[in-house]
Amino acid sequence: MNRFGIRKDYHGYLFITPFILGFLVFGLYPVINTLTLSFTDTTLMSREASFIGLKNFQRLFADDFFMKAVRNTWVLWILNFIPQIGIAMLLSIWFTSARLRIRAVGIWRALFYLPNLLMPAAIARLFFSLFSFYGPVNQFMVQAGILGEAMHFLQDISVTRGIVVFIQWWMWFGQTVIILMAGMTAIPIHLYEAAMVDGASGFQMFRRITLPLLKPILIFIFVTSLVGGMQMFDIPYMLTDGRGSPVYSTMTNNILMYMKFSSSKGHIGAASSVGVLVFIMTSLCAMGIFYFLRERD
Amino acid sequence: MRKSVLYLLSLLVVASMILAACGGATEAPAEPAEPAAPAEPAEPAEPAPTEKTVLNVWSFTNEIRTMAIAYEAKNPNVDVVYTMIPMTDGEYQTKLKSSLGTSDIPDVIALEAAFVKEWVEADFLADLNDLLPLTEELQTFPAVVQVGSHEGVTKGYSYQATPGAFFYRRSIATECFGTDDPSEVQALVADLDKFVETAATIQECSGGDYFMVGTSAAMFNPFLANRAQPWIVDDTLIIDPMVEAYIDFAKVMRDGDYESQASQWSEGWFAGMSDTLVDAEGTPKRIFSYFLPTWGLPYVLMPNSGETGGDWAMIDGPLAYQWGGTWVGAMADSPNIDVAKDFIAFVALDEENLTNWATGVYTNEYLAAIDPEVPEDQAQAPGDFVSSQVVVEKITASFDGSELYEWLGGQNNYEAFGKAAPKVNGALLTGSDDAIQRALETVRDAYLNGEITEAEMWQQWLDSVRSEFPELLIPDPPATD
Repeated sequence: MNRFGIRKDYHGYLFITPFILGFLVFGLYPVINTLTLSFTDTTLMSREASFIGLKNFQRLFADDFFMKAVRNTWVLWILNFIPQIGIAMLLSIWFTSARLRIRAVGIWRALFYLPNLLMPAAIARLFFSLFSFYGPVNQFMVQAGILGEAMHFLQDISVTRGIVVFIQWWMWFGQTVIILMAGMTAIPIHLYEAAMVDGASGFQMFRRITLPLLKPILIFIFVTSLVGGMQMFDIPYMLTDGRGSPVYSTMTNNILMYMKFSSSKGHIGAASSVGVLVFIMTSLCAMGIFYFLRERD
Repeated sequence: MRKSVLYLLSLLVVASMILAACGGATEAPAEPAEPAAPAEPAEPAEPAPTEKTVLNVWSFTNEIRTMAIAYEAKNPNVDVVYTMIPMTDGEYQTKLKSSLGTSDIPDVIALEAAFVKEWVEADFLADLNDLLPLTEELQTFPAVVQVGSHEGVTKGYSYQATPGAFFYRRSIATECFGTDDPSEVQALVADLDKFVETAATIQECSGGDYFMVGTSAAMFNPFLANRAQPWIVDDTLIIDPMVEAYIDFAKVMRDGDYESQASQWSEGWFAGMSDTLVDAEGTPKRIFSYFLPTWGLPYVLMPNSGETGGDWAMIDGPLAYQWGGTWVGAMADSPNIDVAKDFIAFVALDEENLTNWATGVYTNEYLAAIDPEVPEDQAQAPGDFVSSQVVVEKITASFDGSELYEWLGGQNNYEAFGKAAPKVNGALLTGSDDAIQRALETVRDAYLNGEITEAEMWQQWLDSVRSEFPELLIPDPPATD
């Protein structure tokens, strides 16, 4: 009576079809299209475009602006990633520690995660107002005697970078805590109990049990943070004048790409070449992370 | 039997997902960056017995919405769908460009002076030469038409002409110079040297509590308007002596503490207009003057001036200039090109509309009578300076004794702007101005603040221009001392 003649092993394909289609349309096609565009001088404001080979890439390496954007991006990402992973690791250890038994871990975790729910654009605008010349931070610091006179915080390279790094850290460390804690609670408790019986110190347990078993999670955090960091855009864009001021010190890869895209003619060909180089750079680094953190037998 | 039901169900799920994905695909390309403000909900016309023509209009302010409502009253068969996208950091420009070639493209677009040339020089706007006879009838100021034209084709018209002026506080003038008379104050700021001297006088007379200007950034436009050449000539970037002069001047203003340092359009800058500026120590500060053009008076200065009405006066200032202005163009691919043209003719080249626009006929009640859903703050206060000399001459006298007249302590702004408007030069604008000027502004503030040297500033600026315009020939940076 099986008139439709469906074979069971087709079901799997059927269910992954939506994803595959979605991936082809929204994942693979844009990548290929970007790659194609990067070899052309296409602009949004003209109807014609021609193939110009590697000229877009030559120009990027020649004008030093791209290298500056790459340097900025790495500086901002590393300055935010080190404290982020450090503090998240510390908090996760405390929260999961069998010795400390901290109460209401769920509430703390939720509190730390809260900033991540806010819109980056809103946060950036908020900080922009707070740190403006006639803004509250200047008023507070001058009246408290910390500053002699009001200063242009967002015209100071270190302060502006500091604010970008702080916002990135503050928004994302809660997320990292949650992932790290998930990884740590998955480690069988009897390993720690055995270690405690053997008289291991807290640091020894961390070094010999937690870290090695956490490696896959660490790789995940590393790679996702790297990918996100290399695409950092909204905070520096909204916090500054959209060009990474002061003096392009917070101009990230994506801000440069956006500047090319939104320049008077809309050079999407040149913008795509930035995207392609960032893609290559991020892929190579991610592969590097996998290689260096691989299981060594 | 159960199997076939499952099969059908799973097919349905897949189909719905695919359809959902397709639905997204048509919308996705138009959203490269979320616009900072939500676009107006584009309500499709209600299924009325007679189908209305939908005209999609995009702009970066709510100004033209007022005229759109007035237009609907005259053309009941047209439904103008108005979308406002702000342009503070270039959101509007980006949204416009990225919608090219998609189904989201509007019929009519508003173009600001900073980027109107990009569009007039490109080939996406419709040729509107057939509206030119109307400009002769209305004697539209030549610079307005010149800016909207490229190689003999006019693609954009404006309802405004935008000569600039210098607005100052009468009370501060009386306190520091012993007179608030416009002609005597004009003599004190007649050129840039006198301007700086006067800035020092004001500082001295107030013990440093009064500033000459809110920010020297506001003077970028006056300097740019007095260049001999545009930014780009024969694919070469031109650093006109006025550009260098501006940077030197801005540095003098900053180092002398003659400016409040509140950046343009920031809360502090606006606070200066209503005498509510307070510095970080809690000391009240006052700002003597603002450089603003025609539209700056009714849209910026007056609404933010708080209790200071009547204490203002207007003169030419040290440099003649123009600033801003909104042009309106139609997309060549628009399916409703005739309606779009008619709309543009109404907005920019209709004597009755321009008169209503400038004399405050379009009140909120007037608009609400046409469209009950109009927001409460949608209205056009009198005083915007229109592009037609015919209209200007007819209505100038009507401003004697008006609210604006009183606000200016007994001056007719229309008369003053009417004298300045024919002198405006439209030839200095090019399609690349916006990007070049924004690039200089980014590094200028860091230089004024002492973060980088002048030589570094020029170098950084040229590097960034080179990065954005790879084909452009870039000269050596100006010599610095």
